[in-house]
Amino acid sequence: MDSYLLANAESVVARARAGEEAALEELYRAFETPVYNLARRICRTTEDAEDVLQETFFEVCRSIGRYREEGSLWGWVRTIAASKALMRLRRNKYRDTDELQEDVTGYRREDTALRMDLEAALERLSETARAVVWLHDVEGYTHDEIAGMMGKTPSFSKSQLARAHQRLRRWLGEEVEV
Amino acid sequence: MTHLSMEALLSLREVGTEPGDATARAHLESCPGCQAELDRLHQRVARLKALPALRPTRDRWPQTAARVRAERRRRRFRTSGLIGLAAAASIALGVVVGRNGGVSVGEQEIHQAMERSQALESALSEFHPEDRILDGRTAGIAQALEDRIARVDRELEMAELLEHQTRDQQVLKLWRERVGLLDALVDVHVTRASNVGL
Repeated sequence: MDSYLLANAESVVARARAGEEAALEELYRAFETPVYNLARRICRTTEDAEDVLQETFFEVCRSIGRYREEGSLWGWVRTIAASKALMRLRRNKYRDTDELQEDVTGYRREDTALRMDLEAALERLSETARAVVWLHDVEGYTHDEIAGMMGKTPSFSKSQLARAHQRLRRWLGEEVEV
Repeated sequence: MTHLSMEALLSLREVGTEPGDATARAHLESCPGCQAELDRLHQRVARLKALPALRPTRDRWPQTAARVRAERRRRRFRTSGLIGLAAAASIALGVVVGRNGGVSVGEQEIHQAMERSQALESALSEFHPEDRILDGRTAGIAQALEDRIARVDRELEMAELLEHQTRDQQVLKLWRERVGLLDALVDVHVTRASNVGL
């Protein structure tokens, strides 16, 4: 992934560590979209996601000297982004219930039989459930890692994922009689 | 016939096995309904992964770069400023001592607050907070305290531009606030360290 996003990652990191602003900008340009995408999938609004994008790269620029090159550069940046996005969720203290999501988006119980597209169904999940789905299913984090980032238990992460998939299945009209 | 729960289906997708997986696998082999459900789960995850990447509508690099530059200035100030302020305080002390045979209360207090701040920073650095993994709640508290310390540092920078008399009062107030925040930050890390037996 590193070489796909940033061809000369090693030299860019070395220059960034030396404090070269052009190198820091290269890092930003390389990872801007995946970081924003991750943030936007977790956060409720574009403004929050953009703030997470900025927070993430501020932290990357500040901590690049501590990046040990043991794992991938993208893995390191992604973990910072995920932590910042989850921190943003906690700070905003969203009322994390499905009922609220239904109030906000105007869905009603009767609508659940309607087929939604995946984007809409994902958006409709609670913040926590959506974060778990995205971090686990798309970004590939384990339940232990998600639990660590969220300050919860792996069981919490597993049950959130299971409940989220049950809902997605229903909202996507995938329920079939067996 | 009891079908596999969503949790059991998800568990079958995980690397490694969990208690109950063998039973679940045995059921799966003989149940077309659960096989279809697992297929739908695989497809749903594949569709999630295939969602188009969302892109920011605004370029946030200029703000990020400005913040990085400000942070660098602040760090330089913290290093050279501490030395500079300490030196300035020593000179001031020397002048006052030479002239009055005593030290003005304000300057002495600033000097004490600076020393206390430095001692707390040293104590904090011994915990290597940047290398530690904090739980979400503790990380949030530590982040909030660090943000407030950064704000105090920016205000200290600004206070240096004030007139002498106002400056001393303002600088003392800010150094004391900084000491209080650092004290709290050390507490957060020490409490966390003792909780996990580090």
